[in-house]
Amino acid sequence: MILRSVSPTLLALTVFLSACKKPAVESYRVAKELPPAAPGAATTPATPPPASSAPAASSAMANTAVPTASGASLAWTAPAHWTSAQGSAMRKATYAIKGDGGAAELAVTAFPGDVGGDLANLNRWRGQIGLGEVAQAEFEATTQHLDRNGLHMTVVNIVGTGAGAQRILGAIVPHAGATWFFKMTGPDALVAKELAAFTAFLDTIKPAAP
Amino acid sequence: MNDQVRQVRDFFVSLKLTVVLLAFSILLVFLSTLDQVHLGIWGIQEKWYRSFIVIHDTGSARLPVYPGGYLIGGLLMINLIAAHLYRLKFEWRKAGIQLIHGGVIVLLVGELITGILQEDFQMTIVEGGSRSYSESFRDYEVAVIDVTDPKHDDVVAIPDSLFSRGGEIQHAKLPFKVVPQFYFPNSIAQPRAQVPNAPPVAANQGAIAPRYVVTEQAIDYSQNGRNVPAALVALVATEGTLGTWLLRPEVPVLRRDENGQPQLSADTAAPERLTYGGRTYELSLRLVRAYHPFSIRLLKVTHDKYVGTEDPKNFSSRIEIKTPGGKDDREVLIYMNNPLRYGGYTFFQHQMEAARGLTGLQVVSNPGWLLPYVACIMMTFGLLGQFGISLWSFIKKRRAKTAAPKPAAT
Repeated sequence: MILRSVSPTLLALTVFLSACKKPAVESYRVAKELPPAAPGAATTPATPPPASSAPAASSAMANTAVPTASGASLAWTAPAHWTSAQGSAMRKATYAIKGDGGAAELAVTAFPGDVGGDLANLNRWRGQIGLGEVAQAEFEATTQHLDRNGLHMTVVNIVGTGAGAQRILGAIVPHAGATWFFKMTGPDALVAKELAAFTAFLDTIKPAAP
Repeated sequence: MNDQVRQVRDFFVSLKLTVVLLAFSILLVFLSTLDQVHLGIWGIQEKWYRSFIVIHDTGSARLPVYPGGYLIGGLLMINLIAAHLYRLKFEWRKAGIQLIHGGVIVLLVGELITGILQEDFQMTIVEGGSRSYSESFRDYEVAVIDVTDPKHDDVVAIPDSLFSRGGEIQHAKLPFKVVPQFYFPNSIAQPRAQVPNAPPVAANQGAIAPRYVVTEQAIDYSQNGRNVPAALVALVATEGTLGTWLLRPEVPVLRRDENGQPQLSADTAAPERLTYGGRTYELSLRLVRAYHPFSIRLLKVTHDKYVGTEDPKNFSSRIEIKTPGGKDDREVLIYMNNPLRYGGYTFFQHQMEAARGLTGLQVVSNPGWLLPYVACIMMTFGLLGQFGISLWSFIKKRRAKTAAPKPAAT
């Protein structure tokens, strides 16, 4: 009879142990902590963890580069008259375009996910040149869709109002779980003149060879 | 016993079930090894071994594909116990086999206890520094800390597994409710000024949300992959909402490298502060902490290399372990394969950066750590006993044969 009670006991043990791991809010009192002793920097793994493996990371030890959009990249060929310029660390590329009406800039950025969706992105761009937000219906009417080299592109051509109006020529390109933005901003006249070059530039965008 | 009960019993007692389960176990090891192409070791452990059913994520659907380690191991254990109860009768000449089977059961129970109760932590200390808590490797918590008292902090810690469920959390020590808005198990943070199409600020309080755009990322299961979560939390008191805070354990900071080029690196995020009812609270999303009733001070780290090379020879940390009452105050040397076992925890040398006097100890709490050793001892004695019994009966038979009178010649 004692032996026959082993199975239920083991079952009860399993249930009990599972119950032990249930997440619960904890409260406790601790002495004030002294200022953190360890400044941040990556460390060298000394030895593989003996009991069970775990990622080598700690908040105090972290000093990793923060990615913009990791994973598959895109490649392109910029027109000869666009000059590569120093951009911020978050950009994939920056080009300066000079003309009679001043200077424009083309920025290439990429971020994980859909970054809020195409409509939100268009409205943000509109806000940057002083235009009001549009609804989904108007979004469809003012954007153009292109399919190039296996990529779907949503192309935007918007212009601000008033004297010194700015124009944005942009392409939103989803690729491998990330969204790539090719955005040319500058004086209306100059950017409008670059439309053909920009369209030709979009034709060259393709997934980069691994 | 009616027929149905007998059928169930026969199923669990059956030797066929043992063979099928062993075949499943072999295939489990094989398939999980192949899956290491996609997942790191801890991901494999959780997916294949510490589960009842292996769920495979195809990207569009989550499909059950194989019985998990708990199911196979659990059934094996029931099968083994049932066989002992109903099929195998105890006999002294088979005592070794019984002991071996007992060892296997202890091993399975040990793995169950380890799988459910083992906790892994890390402790990072610099030379001269002291720590009285360890931090989890992977699990995070939302900590609401009453920092009003100049000597003590009153901590209310909400584990991420509870926070991510999303329900309101009311705790007796807090004068407000904690209302989770969202929880990203992995995220990236980008300076808002550099994200041209950033979504609007989700929080109306705190320093992180106005400065950074936080985007959810897929969980990284790779061996050395890091997941940095983010949480949006609202605090609601009786008179209404106190605000919404975006929390993240670390934030990116732009620094210039030695060549003057801008580089992003991660800094620990400062806790968010709020005052309510005359008391000051800090809010943070941090790695789960386990406080110890003792403190560890790092005296010296040593990183020996083989002469003339950069190859590591040995890593060691000389530490001082101290209890508040003065019961313990002693020095210990922790080095590779020589951990410190103290207070129910085992401290392994795990990481090191000797140039900056920094050591990382892996801290493991496993109530079942002795069971595999007990199981091995039982199985060793079982095997020795069984072979000894067989040898003894063989010798006895042989002696009897030798001693037997030879038939007379005719």
